[in-house]
Amino acid sequence: MPSESSGVTPFILFELAGTTYAVETQVVQQMEMVEHITPVPNAPAFVDGVVFVRGQAVPVVNLRARFGFPRIVSDAKTRLMVVAYEGRTVGLLVDSAREFITLPAEAVKPPPEAVTGLSGKYLAGIATVGDRVVLVLEVHEVLNFQDLLSPTSVN
Amino acid sequence: MPTDSPSTDDGSSAFSEFLADYYIECDEHLATARRSILAIEPQLQQSSIDRSLLDELFRSFHSLKGLSAMVGFNEAEELAHQLENFLSAVRKGHVRLEVPGLETLVSGIGTLEQVIAARRDGEAVPDPSALVSSVSLLLADYAENSNTTAPTASASHSPVSLGEKEKVIAEKLRAGAKAWQVTFEPSPELVSRGIDVNFVRNKLLTLGELVHSEPLIDVAGHIVFAFVLVSNDERAPHKLQAEGLVCEAFLPRTATEILQATAVAPAAGDSESSTHLTPPNLVRVDLSRLDDLMRIVGELVLSRARLEDSFRRLNGVMPGGEMRMLQETNSAIERQLRDLREGVMRVRMVSVREVFARMRFVVRDLVRELGTQATLRFSGEDTQIDKYVVERIMDPLLHLVRNAVSHGLEPSDERIAAGKSAVGHIDLRARTTGETVIIEVEDDGRGIDAEAVLAQARARGLVAPQPAKVSDPILDVLCLPGFSTREQADRASGRGVGMDVVRTVVEEMGGMFSMETKQGQGTRFLIQLPLTLAITDALIVQVADQRFAVPQVAVREVLHSDSDRLTLMEKNELLHYHGGVIPLFRLAELFGVDGAKNDSFYTLVIGEGAQAVGLVVDRVLGLREVVVRPLTDRLVKVPGVAGATELGDGKVVLILDVSKLFRVTRQQVNSANPIVTSLAGGTSSLISQNVGAK
Repeated sequence: MPSESSGVTPFILFELAGTTYAVETQVVQQMEMVEHITPVPNAPAFVDGVVFVRGQAVPVVNLRARFGFPRIVSDAKTRLMVVAYEGRTVGLLVDSAREFITLPAEAVKPPPEAVTGLSGKYLAGIATVGDRVVLVLEVHEVLNFQDLLSPTSVN
Repeated sequence: MPTDSPSTDDGSSAFSEFLADYYIECDEHLATARRSILAIEPQLQQSSIDRSLLDELFRSFHSLKGLSAMVGFNEAEELAHQLENFLSAVRKGHVRLEVPGLETLVSGIGTLEQVIAARRDGEAVPDPSALVSSVSLLLADYAENSNTTAPTASASHSPVSLGEKEKVIAEKLRAGAKAWQVTFEPSPELVSRGIDVNFVRNKLLTLGELVHSEPLIDVAGHIVFAFVLVSNDERAPHKLQAEGLVCEAFLPRTATEILQATAVAPAAGDSESSTHLTPPNLVRVDLSRLDDLMRIVGELVLSRARLEDSFRRLNGVMPGGEMRMLQETNSAIERQLRDLREGVMRVRMVSVREVFARMRFVVRDLVRELGTQATLRFSGEDTQIDKYVVERIMDPLLHLVRNAVSHGLEPSDERIAAGKSAVGHIDLRARTTGETVIIEVEDDGRGIDAEAVLAQARARGLVAPQPAKVSDPILDVLCLPGFSTREQADRASGRGVGMDVVRTVVEEMGGMFSMETKQGQGTRFLIQLPLTLAITDALIVQVADQRFAVPQVAVREVLHSDSDRLTLMEKNELLHYHGGVIPLFRLAELFGVDGAKNDSFYTLVIGEGAQAVGLVVDRVLGLREVVVRPLTDRLVKVPGVAGATELGDGKVVLILDVSKLFRVTRQQVNSANPIVTSLAGGTSSLISQNVGAK
């Protein structure tokens, strides 16, 4: 969610299943290459496990699984985007992440009502950068897992 | 003038720091008072009571009074003053200490603690007037022919404490001079009349000798100045009061001691302890600083593990001689690191004596309330435990002891009928074995009736009304949230801590909570805790390609077994163990780890007696010192996993919480769910538990 009504907000762009997403730079603590993720038994299905980031055990959320896309095998482009949000630190596993951009607040439009699918509610808005459409992530919803409590939303 | 508004900020923060010290010191004096009164109690029947105990108790009250006066806590000051008065009369032999007096002192200490705690927590301060009047009642006979000053004339300003200077004043008093404490509170009005600190100081100098001056901060954060004047001028107070100053007679503590010492034999160390609240060779350290130190030691342990890993890879590459030297240095560092870790741990250690002493108070109160008869016996009071653990274990222990008195022990007539002694016994034991601290609470009461417990749980809808499972560990039922026998009927077990909280606290600290009970013979609760929480010894085990750390505390024995030694019973695998059988659980199945069932495997025996189970793993890689990192995020806070660690390669290794793991497993088995169904189903039910607990 853009925090400033005037001026511009910096974002990091990342790719997931062929779509470009944006997340506010402010919440991203660091980017990591992924080596070994230790699975955690009985954790939610979209949690691949835990890794140490700066000595702290941090859960790894597979964003593909979170959004209902098929998982892919990690490669050299795979990144762990470590976000620090509301006192929590969580790693988001994405296909790749390279670019920084800044967007004026008014460039982020609310998502159209008609957008459906699992990832719809994880969006704070939609922005157009040149000829690309960028989906702005709602970090709060991504880390929230209240929806899991209703069994139908899993799998 | 330092009273302008900018200085009040500084004043209030200095004051809150001062208050923090006040609470700590009060704690210490209350602890001393509790210890003294418990030591005095058995001497009541004797012809005389140990003088030094009375002195110690007197000094505690005296210090509490002085400290409370300094921070302006009038209720505490007044209460401590009354208790001190009473004790003073006892010390001088004017009043004989008998049971009612002792009871009053005991409840006095309790009330004092409540009053101080209420102030600290910002709660309503309980009314101490009932206690104050019961003390005055005790003193009534004595007061008639006594000429001590009226106790209710509590000073408007606190007496200052002067340490060594008091001796000087006492000298002068003996020479016939008088001493006054003069208090000056600057105000704009006085200043406008030209009365400021310098004016007051000069005025005092004209009247006599100014022995002491000190700025003080009162409760409201205002600065007041206290002076002590020694003068031969009898009219000095009148002259000062004319200037708007508060003037009170000043009696130095040492003078009080001297006056009392003339009446009775002097007690060693009297004057010393009244001025020094902390023995000079002790340092008070904030626990969080020790936490930091422990964290750094933890990082060192990890770095060394990494070094060791590198050495292993160098093996065969490096020339043998060089390698040996490096290895020697490495093991020297390992030893030193262990020493360092133990050193830091020792600093954090306190004995359980204080905790145990508190239990005696609880039992006293309860026994009086319930009319049962109980004796509390201690062993291992000198056992040292991490300060943090001591603080966290207090409430659980209180609950277990209360529970033993109010539920465990039978009434005397019932006991006699059963051929037991009329007085019930509760044993509180502490001991250390290796890296584990064991605390036991045992009673010789009626034991726990499993059927009655189950019936009650069913009545409350906590357990499914299916036919009773004899194997259902009764402790699990006792620890169900919301279960507590007779909880509503008596407030004795009070404070809202139930058996479930006991277990939760113990397990959060990486410990084990277990119970043994025999009908008609008694119940024993056992708490096993790691000595320290940040670093622990753990068995590293492997299942398929995954490693896990199992705290050594939890493991009784490691067995190497073969499949042909197993007995199958329906879906259960049973292993012969010490003449009986224990049920086996495969970690791979519990955790849904893929892997072939090996014919040869290792079994970690967890738990004792009828509750023992075996945890099956593929391999045991060894015993390691691991640094515990918490798994705090709710996405990965799953039952059965206590935390995370690494072994030098940067990969996360999960630390198991075995007792919780088995309990969750058992609950799932009992509710007829397969252990690991679809991950989704299992997950959502486990998560909702977690969320509910938040």
